Amino acid sequence: MSPSDPIISLRGVSKRFSTRRGEVHALDGIDLDVARGELVSLIGPSGCGKSTLLRLVGGLLDPDAGTVTVEGAPPRAARATKHFGFVPQTPALLPWRTVRRNVALLSEVNRTAGGKVALTTEVTHALLDEVGLGEFLDAYPHELSGGMQQRVSLVRAFALGAPILLMDEPFAALDEITRAEMRYLLLRLWEGTGATTLFVTHSIAEAVLLSDRVVVLAARPGRIQVVEDVTLPRPRHEAQEDGPEFVEQVRRIRHALLQGRSA
Amino acid sequence: MMPASTRTWLAPVLGIAVFLGGWQLTVRAFGIEPYKLPAPSEILGELIRGWHGYLDDAIVTGREAFAGFVVALVLALVVGTLMAHSRGLEQAVYPVAVLVQVTPIIAYAPAVVIWVGFGFRSIVMVAAIICFVPLLFNTVTGLRSIDPATHELLQSVDASRREVFWHLRLPHALPYLFTAARISVGLALIGALLAEGYALVTDGLGVSILRNANRSNVVELWADIYATGLLGAVGIATVSILERVTLRWNPRLTDA
Repeated sequence: MSPSDPIISLRGVSKRFSTRRGEVHALDGIDLDVARGELVSLIGPSGCGKSTLLRLVGGLLDPDAGTVTVEGAPPRAARATKHFGFVPQTPALLPWRTVRRNVALLSEVNRTAGGKVALTTEVTHALLDEVGLGEFLDAYPHELSGGMQQRVSLVRAFALGAPILLMDEPFAALDEITRAEMRYLLLRLWEGTGATTLFVTHSIAEAVLLSDRVVVLAARPGRIQVVEDVTLPRPRHEAQEDGPEFVEQVRRIRHALLQGRSA
Repeated sequence: MMPASTRTWLAPVLGIAVFLGGWQLTVRAFGIEPYKLPAPSEILGELIRGWHGYLDDAIVTGREAFAGFVVALVLALVVGTLMAHSRGLEQAVYPVAVLVQVTPIIAYAPAVVIWVGFGFRSIVMVAAIICFVPLLFNTVTGLRSIDPATHELLQSVDASRREVFWHLRLPHALPYLFTAARISVGLALIGALLAEGYALVTDGLGVSILRNANRSNVVELWADIYATGLLGAVGIATVSILERVTLRWNPRLTDA
């Protein structure tokens, strides 16, 4: 496998769920390649299967049809060797562990997995310091605000040192001001690692601000409407958000989302 | 307004004082004879005079109740862990557990003594049976009460079932286990007191209660009852202290 090969590859992927009200076609005929080091956002209306897509890549679900490969192997193999740093929608911190011990959790389990090496305690603590939690190493989750808890969740994923980050609307539950801070915080951490990142969101501005590419999904069945390249130069900064290029990108994605709805 | 820290110890002390004071006044005001219902002052006087004997009996009964609780806890953890991992096993065990729970302990205490034999072991067995079901149900509920997002997070790094158990399920079950332990203190005492009456032992608060009741030693009988209440209070206090130390991360406890 050459370095230019996609690190994540989906071909003709379909997924159905049986519910009490019948079968739901969550995803249909998904083709997608993600290059090493790319940050790709998945955006779409609720029910478009964006979270399902993230779980198929992470090996937490299996497709009904089609293939998903991660570094040329099935996602379950990548999961077993701790290739994924997962950031769920809620902080999902263990309430009986301090901040220091919560960020160590993912490296503590499944120790026999070879391959990826977690960051050292010193580097992890430097990360916590960078996100403003240096004074809170020994605090319990219930002593932290929602934004602080989600920062711990972010650092926990980065601390694993995984080559792929999977983020499932991590900022959805935060207030608008905290969200704005968290986006730039995420970019700072991400630029330091170059990890390939899939980021599920329902905020267009968030997708444009963070991403190299934005995958716009349509619902029922979940399918790819269009993939938009974001050409804004990196590192991204707040002044760009008012620029014409940013506004134009947001407009194009909004139109694609509307088209997907009416189709 | 007094500070909350003062209120937390003053209010309960006042409550007990008013309860005993009311009792004392009622007995005096209506001239109730001591052989029917003695006043708290007489009961406490007897308890203090004969403290050595009451303490010995309380230690015997407390040891039986505690041993029964420990046996029930170990069994509940083992069976509950298996049930939490298998819906089929849970559905199979559930009706049996409910049957054990709805059958009053009085019904099978003599049968347990016949089965296990006289003495300490059968008392422990009765105390264990009565504690087992609440401990079991709370273990299963607690082990199942995990946060789905955290569970998925652990799965994203391919954590084994054993790791999920130790890192997630067992700590989540602890608050439930402490709730069950609190209930079990009273239950284990019921089991121990009752079984002492059948198990042909010579010491313990249950034996003393029967003896004093048969001889109409009313003040001594009430002193036994007070000693039993104090024993239960010591049990509850021990559980509460352990809970505070173990669950210091739990905001429900630290805010109180």
